[in-house]
Amino acid sequence: MKNVLVETSHALPLVGMTAAALPGSLTDPPGKEGLTRLVARLMRRTAAGLAPRELDERIDALGGSLGIDAAPSSVAFSGAVIARSLEPFVELFADVLNRPGFSEEELGRLKRETQSDIVESRDNDRALARRWFNRAVFAGHPYGRSVSGTIPSIESIEPADIRAHFERTLRGRALLFALAGDVDREAAERLAERLAGATARVDAPSLATPAPVGPRGRRLVFVDKPERTQTQILIGGLGSHPHDSDHIALHVANTVFGGTFTARLTEEVRSKRGWSYGAYSSLPYDRARQAFSMWTFPKAEDAAPCIALELDLLHAWRERGITKRELAWAKRYLVRSHAFAIDTASKRVSLALDERLHELPAGYHADYTKHVQAVTLEEANAAVRARISEDDLVVTVVGTEARIGGAVRDAIAGLSHAETVAFDAD
Amino acid sequence: MREAMRGERLAKLNSNAPPWGAVEHLGSIPFGAALTIERFRLKNGLTILVCEDHSAPVVAYHTWYRVGSRHERVGKTGLAHLFEHLMFRQTENLAEGEFDRKLEEAGAESNAATWLDWTHYNIAIPREQLGLVVALEAERMAHLVLEEPQVQAEKDVVANERRYRVEDDVESAASELLWSTAFERHAYRWPTIGWMADIEGFTTADCADFYRTYYAPNNATVVVVGDLSLPRLLEKLSTSYGALEPSALPVEEAVPEPPQTSERRVEVTKPTATEKLIIGYRSPALGDFDHPAMAVLAELLLGGRASRIHRRLIQELELASDARIFVGPFRDPSLTELFVSARGRHRAEALLEVVDEELARIREQPVPTEELARAQARMELSLVSSLETADGKASTIGFYDTVLGRPAAAFERMEAARAVDPSDLRRAARRYLTPEQRSIVIVRAQAGASEETAR
Repeated sequence: MKNVLVETSHALPLVGMTAAALPGSLTDPPGKEGLTRLVARLMRRTAAGLAPRELDERIDALGGSLGIDAAPSSVAFSGAVIARSLEPFVELFADVLNRPGFSEEELGRLKRETQSDIVESRDNDRALARRWFNRAVFAGHPYGRSVSGTIPSIESIEPADIRAHFERTLRGRALLFALAGDVDREAAERLAERLAGATARVDAPSLATPAPVGPRGRRLVFVDKPERTQTQILIGGLGSHPHDSDHIALHVANTVFGGTFTARLTEEVRSKRGWSYGAYSSLPYDRARQAFSMWTFPKAEDAAPCIALELDLLHAWRERGITKRELAWAKRYLVRSHAFAIDTASKRVSLALDERLHELPAGYHADYTKHVQAVTLEEANAAVRARISEDDLVVTVVGTEARIGGAVRDAIAGLSHAETVAFDAD
Repeated sequence: MREAMRGERLAKLNSNAPPWGAVEHLGSIPFGAALTIERFRLKNGLTILVCEDHSAPVVAYHTWYRVGSRHERVGKTGLAHLFEHLMFRQTENLAEGEFDRKLEEAGAESNAATWLDWTHYNIAIPREQLGLVVALEAERMAHLVLEEPQVQAEKDVVANERRYRVEDDVESAASELLWSTAFERHAYRWPTIGWMADIEGFTTADCADFYRTYYAPNNATVVVVGDLSLPRLLEKLSTSYGALEPSALPVEEAVPEPPQTSERRVEVTKPTATEKLIIGYRSPALGDFDHPAMAVLAELLLGGRASRIHRRLIQELELASDARIFVGPFRDPSLTELFVSARGRHRAEALLEVVDEELARIREQPVPTEELARAQARMELSLVSSLETADGKASTIGFYDTVLGRPAAAFERMEAARAVDPSDLRRAARRYLTPEQRSIVIVRAQAGASEETAR
């Protein structure tokens, strides 16, 4: 059977399995943000016409767990089970994938639960910063929309939307199966066939993810929240795409800049000044170009100088690049620590699945250490100059505007646009 | 493994050992069906637990110090945690930042944690780098440089960590208030991160005193799990730690908490959209016979979507958006903590009413055996899942050895949880989950924090 990834390890009596479909929330219609995630969660709760409680109890009784993970480019159902219960667990899992009940009563309950979770998430300043940062960097692009949706978008979802979206994006579509642990390939392929069910499945039509445009100028989004003793700050713009010829080179350069505990950002912000408990930069990837961002969380009084320092460090990184010594150090770190990306069967199969879900270049993970070793100093520094912008970026601050808003604006030289939003705005 | 511990082999190693580096083999302990822990001790008192596991070419090297926030005193809270930060800075033979740089260059993943009973340093490394890690950990056990600039910078970092984790986090701030309300005398009443005024007031001398007192081989356990050669590891441990002298450890100023005989309740207002309810029930120590029964009760009440309180509060009545439970895994009796976040404009009192109904039901009506079996199966999945990596195994071994003195106690506890029956559950619920033994924190939502709330 095609589309089955297997990593066997008999070290523990445990089997992990994932069934994933392409794409994910990118297919949410405008105004119906959160639909893909809602469909998947409803499948998990209403399989085979069972009540959610009965399903939960059956999964628990088997020593299993089963959850869903919706992302822009994929939606995945992931479970784990004690090996002795593998067969009955697969039966339940197959019902989740193939026999959704979509009870209207449960849809109503799930919608109210999701809306309540959205309200609850406003207690999390870090998540607030990320949400508003993405919205500003990817304005007008699907990446700027929330996978979970908004209160009005969830409200607008009707039972007919659920069924139509399931028919359009999941029923009859090929699934990718990944099994790891105490199961051999032959058994895994047999189980995957049962998971796929009797429905004829074909590959999803290719969905071209539009290339994001990114921000223009230096933009500040101040997320105003009362009584903040501390701020959450994200600074960045467009980042990397896995098919860029300089993708790995930029990844190596970012490791020097803010990818580890001894990188430049942590050294300057935390170790020398004690301004923030953490200071990192990240460069995630997806099927279209994702964002580059620096993340710090200094106390309110240090927010403005911290932003100014980060912009200076960004400038120095672009202008002067990294050194030969830093490059050699980063390569050793990345090559050696790769051992922890592949030290369990579940991690190995996750990498194989990641390659398929994100349409990564062939051998992206298998040849990762070779690609890292091959990066030259010139390539690393050229990648930073080509991909990372100092001029077109977003600064997102969660804090108390009345207390530090003016100082923050003053700290951003060449600020072209500033807006303040309430932390509980949709 | 056996070869490495034969008398003549250890005798040969010990004949060349430094003054405190002689190795003694104290026994072999099964760790699950397939693995074995070997227990050793150096002459200076350092405990060594080794578990060979050749499933991946990596090694986890964990160091557990038997010092946590319980060993602090009023006015100096947070010192154990601040010290954990300082342990990553300069030593006599490593310049500022070099410790972390060497580890990262070796491909290591490293971190540390401090809690009420212990401080834990964990490093995972490719197997070829094990020797480097042994040398680095031995170096910082005895040769840390404690000077004003490092201490001041790290105090600032910890103050920021406190703002991040506690002061701007509604749930953590309420939990801190709960523990300081529930305990009046025991050292568990202050938070591990310390009060802000104490963090700001630490001196370099405070840190130096703490280091001399608690960071000694006879107050530590080294746990090594992974793809290793035992003879080579023992030789390296003997060489690296064998020059370190044991210290005279102080007798702990233990202050038992008096029994609680009536409910305590406090209210605070925070900038949050919804009310929160946090309840702490006085609960048994990790080593108590009743602790596994409490762990099963926790699963029954709030372990996943099928559990009793989750189902009623979140799914049926739709009064709450989130509900969790935590049974304190500590040396001394502590708390079982329930956290519930209200949905929309529902009041904390309405949440408490439902919690009370469910606790009364579990105290009065026998738990059906099928429901008990589900809770036990969930616990088994959780244990097995935690043992996938060398790091997970080392954490489990080190935690149970540090708190209970038994490195394979995770499996003993699982057996004990499997043996729990409805009578055990009733006894534990009636003994611990009673109103007069609880403290309650209610967080009111600040007016105007969020006008628009979900229904």
